[in-house]
Amino acid sequence: MDGLEQKFLQLSWKLHPDNFVNTDERERELSLQRSSRLNDAYRVLRNPVARVEYLLELEGMRKEGEHQQQAPPELLEEVFELNESLDELREAKSAGANLANLAAKLRAAEKNFGEKLHEVDAEMKTAAQQWDAALDANASESDREAILQRLNELLNRRSYIRNLVAGVEKELQGASC
Amino acid sequence: MGRIVGIDLGTTNSLVAYLDARTGQPRCIPGPYGSTLCPSVVSLDPDASIIVGEAARRRLLTQPERTIYSVKRLMGRGPADVQSELQLFPFRIDPNSNHVIRVMLGDKMFTPPEISAFILRELRNWAESYLGETVDRAVITVPAYFNDAQRQATKDAGRIAGLEVLRLVNEPTAAALAYGLHETQRGHVAVYDLGGGTFDISILKLISTGEGDIYQVLSTNGDTHLGGDDIDNLLQAFVHERIRETEDLDFSPHGELAQDLRKSLIAAKHELSEKESVTLRFILPNGKTFVHNFSRADFEALVQNVVNRTMGPVKQALADAHLAPSAIEEVVLVGGTTRTPLIRRTVQEFFGRKPHTELNPDEVVALGAAVQANILERGVSNMLLLDVTPLSLGIETYGGAVSKIIPRNSTIPASAQEQYTTGVDNQTGIDIHVLQGERELAKDCRSLARFTLKVSPAPAGLPRIEVAFLIDANGILQVAAKDMRTGQQHSIEVQPSYGINDTEIERMLEESIEYAEQDFAERQLIEARTESEAILGATTKALANPQSAEIAATERSNIEAAIAALKQSAAGTDYKLIRKCIDVLNHTTEHLAELLMNSAVSTALAGRKLAEV
Repeated sequence: MDGLEQKFLQLSWKLHPDNFVNTDERERELSLQRSSRLNDAYRVLRNPVARVEYLLELEGMRKEGEHQQQAPPELLEEVFELNESLDELREAKSAGANLANLAAKLRAAEKNFGEKLHEVDAEMKTAAQQWDAALDANASESDREAILQRLNELLNRRSYIRNLVAGVEKELQGASC
Repeated sequence: MGRIVGIDLGTTNSLVAYLDARTGQPRCIPGPYGSTLCPSVVSLDPDASIIVGEAARRRLLTQPERTIYSVKRLMGRGPADVQSELQLFPFRIDPNSNHVIRVMLGDKMFTPPEISAFILRELRNWAESYLGETVDRAVITVPAYFNDAQRQATKDAGRIAGLEVLRLVNEPTAAALAYGLHETQRGHVAVYDLGGGTFDISILKLISTGEGDIYQVLSTNGDTHLGGDDIDNLLQAFVHERIRETEDLDFSPHGELAQDLRKSLIAAKHELSEKESVTLRFILPNGKTFVHNFSRADFEALVQNVVNRTMGPVKQALADAHLAPSAIEEVVLVGGTTRTPLIRRTVQEFFGRKPHTELNPDEVVALGAAVQANILERGVSNMLLLDVTPLSLGIETYGGAVSKIIPRNSTIPASAQEQYTTGVDNQTGIDIHVLQGERELAKDCRSLARFTLKVSPAPAGLPRIEVAFLIDANGILQVAAKDMRTGQQHSIEVQPSYGINDTEIERMLEESIEYAEQDFAERQLIEARTESEAILGATTKALANPQSAEIAATERSNIEAAIAALKQSAAGTDYKLIRKCIDVLNHTTEHLAELLMNSAVSTALAGRKLAEV
């Protein structure tokens, strides 16, 4: 059991509403507020992506609901190809043509982008470790800023690729092949 | 304060359980018919009294228009939601129902929580007469998959029945508690619960900590329309089809016969859990006997589809918990339908281990509710239950899309804060629509509530209001709003999309007490009449006894007068008067009884030697 989980369980023992059934209304209300905050915090902290998002929000790098939906430059060519295939699939679908070839092509692209997603996750993990190290080492503001910038970029790239993969999945499901 | 009990408010049957202090084990409480299962059936007698359970179940055939079953299917749902149910269930729904369904029993209308409250009140009576104590608080179980409105409706039913609902516990979680797995096991547990009408799967993690054991629900999934009833429907459709083919006979106009057939099919289904084959015999309206030989293999081929449909949610729950089937250390089976060998086999093959079946699968949920009730009663415990919300909570955004603010399978209580502002100058209100579900568009999700935040006129973008959405430990939504500029708490009226408001609940509670009083009077009357019949019978018999010739003429005429008075009172409805007349007759016949007793003793002794006595 990691430290985060241990801390979460420890606090759950203290704060959970079940421990306050026989107390007055004010205490019950407080227990409800605090245990819900505890659960919210644990939900964010145990998920590496949500955790980075939260860090960036705290540091004022990112505002909720505002993120870039621009294709990362190095992916432009592949994204272009993918979108073309998706268009072809849609056309073929409405024309009732054979979808097997297109579907196979899309599946390969989906796999390719899925791997890229893993790469981004790994890079994000490294950057997050760098952030922790920078804090421990009391690094300069500009160094820290640079890491946050990098994390923000990675997060944008991640959400972009994820949307792509989800879009392909949806089309493939619709094609039912 | 009275005792806390655990209640399984089921689709088909309901049960009440308590923790036996002597053994430390939970136990289900039997009702007047000796069974711990109270059929979830409610009937409105023509004399306006309410009948619940086995007695009501017997009226399903004789008074179908005054009797309702499976009301759980209507809990927290709107008229549009239940159209598909109406194909399968003969609910008589008031066509003028808008946000809350009203069901007609005879010529009276009731909401589903009111009907559930009658069942809860009956179980409360069972518990009070069994325990000899007041019962005013309860832990009630709900399917893990129940949404906010369904949970709220269940809580409302408790309130209408005069019970404070301390906690709604998910049925699968209750089952794990009943098995007390935390005492012997660590690791991951899957609870597979296939009941009469619903299917639930939950993945739990059992953790030991310094303070005690924690049941953490990692994920939950299911299908609100999957269960033993589907198997019965399949069997029935299959047999109806056979009868139509071989006898050219349509069963649809034969409501009562169809019910009888369904009963024999259910019995056959149960038998097939033990035997390899059964022969179904059924007398048809044309006088012929329909005979069909069911082998277990035929049966399994027929229900394979139902069993397969459970596996989708099972896989989804595992995926949500990030676990492979092999990572599950214990599997628990719940619900009567899991007695089916095909289901046991399928579950065992999927998880690669033998599931727990030691406890009665019909009782296990109620037993777990009693364990939780006991934990809450004691206040402090070495066991803690961390449950999750089964559905994502979202808010409708511009263009009818949904923005998810609390994802499904979040540990509850859970909350989310959203900030709102105005889009045009002097805007006085912001409309907020809260939804529950996994789909992307608001129209595909379930509407929980709509409300308008009132804003004082100001330039666009200046007002800042923070709305806090909170899902409590029962899985029920609470909403609060705060004006960020003034720091003042903002009052909001949340009108639930498919719920009853507080005023209506108060009214229903009052009416329900009236019914309860009527109920009580009704029972007293029935008992008094039964007793009067018994004593009238005995007295008539005594007067016919030759020995009674010994009594004086005045005594005889006194007795006859008392008999006449009792007969007259028993024809009325005043049970207190009947009791009084019974007492008078008892008193008047004391001498006669003594006389007959003595002669009975001498008759018994006659012809015997003293030594034999």
